[in-house]
Amino acid sequence: MSGLLSKIWMEVRWPVLWFSLGLCAIMGLLTALLPKVLGNIHTMFDKMPMVKPLITALLGVDPGDQMSSQLSQAFLWVHPTVLTLIWAHEVMYCSRMPAGEIDRGTADFLLCLPVSRWKVFMAETIGWLLSGICILAFGYAGHLTASLTVQPEMRLSVSHTMMVMANLAAVYLAVGSFAFFLSSLSDRRGRAIGVIFAIMLASFLLNFLAQFQDWAKSASWLSVMEYYRPAIIIQTGMFPRFDIGVLLCIASTFWIASGVTFRMRSICTV
Amino acid sequence: MSVIAAKDLCRTYGSRRGISDVNLTINAGEIFGFLGPNGAGKSTTIRILMGLLRASSGTARIFGQDCWSDGSTIRQDVGYVAGDVRLYSWLTTRRGLSMISKIHGRDLLPNGLKLAERFRLEPDLVVRKMSRGNRQKVALVLALAHSPRIVILDEPTSGLDPLMQDTLMMCLRELASEGRTVMFSSHTLSEVETLCDRIAIVRDGQIVEDSKLIDLKAQAPRQIVVTLQEQQRASDIQWPSCVDLKFEPSSSPAQYSSTIALMVPPSLRHRTCILELLGTSTPFMQWAAAQNFADVVIGSPALEVLFRRYYAE
Repeated sequence: MSGLLSKIWMEVRWPVLWFSLGLCAIMGLLTALLPKVLGNIHTMFDKMPMVKPLITALLGVDPGDQMSSQLSQAFLWVHPTVLTLIWAHEVMYCSRMPAGEIDRGTADFLLCLPVSRWKVFMAETIGWLLSGICILAFGYAGHLTASLTVQPEMRLSVSHTMMVMANLAAVYLAVGSFAFFLSSLSDRRGRAIGVIFAIMLASFLLNFLAQFQDWAKSASWLSVMEYYRPAIIIQTGMFPRFDIGVLLCIASTFWIASGVTFRMRSICTV
Repeated sequence: MSVIAAKDLCRTYGSRRGISDVNLTINAGEIFGFLGPNGAGKSTTIRILMGLLRASSGTARIFGQDCWSDGSTIRQDVGYVAGDVRLYSWLTTRRGLSMISKIHGRDLLPNGLKLAERFRLEPDLVVRKMSRGNRQKVALVLALAHSPRIVILDEPTSGLDPLMQDTLMMCLRELASEGRTVMFSSHTLSEVETLCDRIAIVRDGQIVEDSKLIDLKAQAPRQIVVTLQEQQRASDIQWPSCVDLKFEPSSSPAQYSSTIALMVPPSLRHRTCILELLGTSTPFMQWAAAQNFADVVIGSPALEVLFRRYYAE
């Protein structure tokens, strides 16, 4: 296993570092700026009426005419840049194997080593989890550092932050395992990435359209954002057991399915 | 004792043919040549043996174990180089050896570095800066470093210069002399001819010939150039049934289209007969000894002609 992990380390260390630093910077910046920007959100709602449904869709609750300090902190955790960075990392990571390996022809070398495909998959999973921990930790560090610059009453409590991060980690697991699953079905990494991004975008749009369309509302359970509501966690202070449970079920189902698919499939690089 | 055994092996790619009813047995210590044109099914067979592809039907076994379900155990003792070698751009020979050492659970660095030296490979040069031939060498070093009992090479000489091809051949012969088995796939006849003990010819996904090289050579035609005495006439000679008179002797050199005939001095061309000999040369030699010819040159068996026949059929 250590041989495989060293191979993963060689491949992903720089991207993970850049994504981590990027998330750290973005979350720090957003933590410092959002309270100021969202303090005058009602003027933006007046000028650009479309912004409100978008924020409602992202937060999962109606922000009203004024954003409370709590809601403005919640917005940090659903900000499209934050989600895009995290998802981009895991889509890039999880599509590496087997789709990426087959695509660049290195699957022959990797899979002809005396290791079972389960072991290869487990090593990839460990790398994925560790890189996720690293990226989220960097993001949290950026948030924590920048929160020192905001007024104490605008800061989120550690317990609330941890609950939101647990929910975000569950989203990370669900999206990543889904990406693993699509990768395990594909021979082309570009195609796998395209499909994953398309589905994530559709999930995002569905969540947005659910604010206006009944059909979208009835189908919103299909959107991953339906199970990630930092604003509600912050408002109620309740641990999102159900949402995390659903996300973990999705994650474990797709993770097992991708492992089985990878184990059973023929690898054809020619 | 057979170390590789394939029985009624079939593999299709959707509606496309891969291989059908491939039966193979390779014994320990054998250098087995797997010969066929591009797309004949060589790589498909090898990929099934390596557990990369699942056979549609039939069985593939190495050391008596199933290549698909027991692949990781089998691969402990197999070295493999793929047809189109692709390696990680960050890989160096040393990093690769260190990585496979961890996977094999023993230090393969000393042996690997010796091989790298033999193949004149810089151990710390990254793959992205390497030529195709050097990448091939890295793949060979990584495949041979753990001294596998079976070496499976899919067109391994592509990209290697002739000197390195010789080094590889020497390495493989040494492995075979130690009782290790080599399966060598190629579409180049000459390299298979110089290396292998036994050859299987694949065509359209099926094995059309599986024989020892010596037996194949016996089947292959030989070209014989006979120079007659001045008083001898080709038409008067009762040629034995084992030969096929390819060209009638003539005073016109234009009729001698083969290279051999053109190499004959012009003064002798009208007295030169080019024959094709099928089967063993012993009866012909016995017959020729009694004929009082000016000269007889017997060429080596032309396996290429035989293979061309298989491919053309």
